[in-house]
Amino acid sequence: MTDQALPLQQEEKQFSLAKDAFIRLIANRLAIVGMVLVLFLFFVAIFGPYITPYDFLSQDLMARNQPPSWQHWFGTDDLGRDIMSRVIYGSRTAVIVGFSTVSFSLVIGLFMGALGGYFGGKIDAFVVWLIDITMSIPSLLLVIVINVSLKPPLVNWMDARFLATGNEFYRNTIWVDFVLVFGSLALIKWPKAARIVRGQILSIRNKNYVLAAEALGVPTAKIVRRYVIPNALGPIIVYISASLGEAMVLESSFSFLGVGVRPPIPSWGNMISDGLRIWQLYPHVLAAPAAVLAIVTIAFSFLGDGLNDALNPRQWK
Amino acid sequence: MTKLLEVNNLHTRFKVRNGYLHAVNGVSFSLDKGEMLGVVGESGCGKSVSMMSLIRLLPPAAQITEGEVLLDGEDITHASVSRVNSIRGSKVGMIFQDPMTSLNPFMKIGDQLVEGIVYHRKIAKAEALKQAARYLKMVGISNAEHRLNEYPHQLSGGMRQRVMIAMALLNEPSLVIADEPTTALDVTIQAQIVELVKGLREKLNMSIIWITHDLSLLAGMVDRIMVMYGGYVVEEAVLDDIYKAPLHPYTIGLLKSIPSLKTEAGSRLPSIPGAPPNLFSPPTGCPFAPRCAYKIGRCQDEVPMLAAVSGAGGERPHRVACWVDVRERGVEQ
Repeated sequence: MTDQALPLQQEEKQFSLAKDAFIRLIANRLAIVGMVLVLFLFFVAIFGPYITPYDFLSQDLMARNQPPSWQHWFGTDDLGRDIMSRVIYGSRTAVIVGFSTVSFSLVIGLFMGALGGYFGGKIDAFVVWLIDITMSIPSLLLVIVINVSLKPPLVNWMDARFLATGNEFYRNTIWVDFVLVFGSLALIKWPKAARIVRGQILSIRNKNYVLAAEALGVPTAKIVRRYVIPNALGPIIVYISASLGEAMVLESSFSFLGVGVRPPIPSWGNMISDGLRIWQLYPHVLAAPAAVLAIVTIAFSFLGDGLNDALNPRQWK
Repeated sequence: MTKLLEVNNLHTRFKVRNGYLHAVNGVSFSLDKGEMLGVVGESGCGKSVSMMSLIRLLPPAAQITEGEVLLDGEDITHASVSRVNSIRGSKVGMIFQDPMTSLNPFMKIGDQLVEGIVYHRKIAKAEALKQAARYLKMVGISNAEHRLNEYPHQLSGGMRQRVMIAMALLNEPSLVIADEPTTALDVTIQAQIVELVKGLREKLNMSIIWITHDLSLLAGMVDRIMVMYGGYVVEEAVLDDIYKAPLHPYTIGLLKSIPSLKTEAGSRLPSIPGAPPNLFSPPTGCPFAPRCAYKIGRCQDEVPMLAAVSGAGGERPHRVACWVDVRERGVEQ
């Protein structure tokens, strides 16, 4: 932002929209709660392996399905693994899945939506056609098809590369799950973002303030940056925060169905699906990952809501 | 007086699904420095589009197909995009119809006001903001320095229109185009804005084109009036001639339909029967012929040219586009 403190008026502090928005965000308690939780999630996801009390794989068959105790805060699962360690390690999966799905779909969606909304005509018709086609593909079916058809050859290829080169990178096939399953998920999730962006651009382009800026001779790039993008931002932020939670829930359901993240790598989804089998006897096995997933989803929506309000001057009191 | 603006045979059309919509069909007029012109016509008669065409502020589907616009002798219709941008930022100011939506809700008033001059004059922002505050005071906004720092939603409609006016004036334009600037405001605010513009015009000596559908609003404000119908200029004359001696049947109809205090209570307000022409497939003859009480055979087949009225003198005589001289016909509508 080019805004600087104006010398015009000393008694009142001058801020740019970004600074103004930050101040509003800080003042919003729910948003702060969301932000703290999200930051905590990131912290845990990044430093997970260093702060887990136990190794997420180490089994203690003498202490299976233990209820929460001082040794195991969230208890242990049916193989005697510490649930808290697994939840902490699972946050990595959740963050990677959430961000890869959302950022892939957002990049494609922004590009396609902006393309259609800005150029209109035949290009727009093509984009809308593509959106319609993509939306008609059932996401579950596609992910299963990709998983079944593309994953084995890719894993084989990586094994072959490892044998040929000895490079450790090729040994860790867990990345194949992430990239393949959630990358492809993003490939069919982009229409939602594209529709939002396209709609926003179509409506903002015809707004009088854009015309007024054009009448002042403001160049197009500046109009896009200062007029179109800020006005289009609200729904996109809501889309991001809603989709982050949604992606984590989706990952859970894919893991539940056996596609996506495979055991023993913990994800909240496969922990929930494990817990579901025995939850009548040992409810804590289900409760911990489910509660964490719920809290994180809510935290993202609090933060998204807060950001949306903070960035929109019309919402200020 | 020196000429500021000259428009010759301007044609603008819109590309629509199966062809073209002919919004402006050969508009010609001129404007002197310091002169104020009122452009009158009903919705969809091409008045806004023709004035927007002057500075090429048109949607992508619109296209100027013919004619030229000379501002200070410089041809705008064929100028490059960047040149047009700099003309917009330095010589022409625009005031729009709806002040409620003409300001970006995400930008402070001050930032928006100075956007144009900071870019085109390369002056420092702080300096530009000082100037903006001066103009805000000029348009009657109190506590201007404070207002610069507010967002549009904190201002009322009348205030926003004042801000828009200040924005149009800030680059010290020689021509201001006001596109129905008072239509969205209530009547008392409307009167204030009209008074404001009249005062500013005297102070800053600029030319103004005031687009409106309200003929009565222009009385006592403008020097000349141009009446448009179906994308054509049908009559153009000094204010008094239009009011006292209108020569086009459409102008006569418009004047008759202004309510006045002399109108008998309970009587119906006269109106012009029929509907405006379809600009998608314009009639071959005079566009007003189907609704005209004075029409003769020729009106159906040939478009009348805008020409000086017989007997009218002066450098810029009363012009009318009609095959009939209504002065010779005593027909009442």
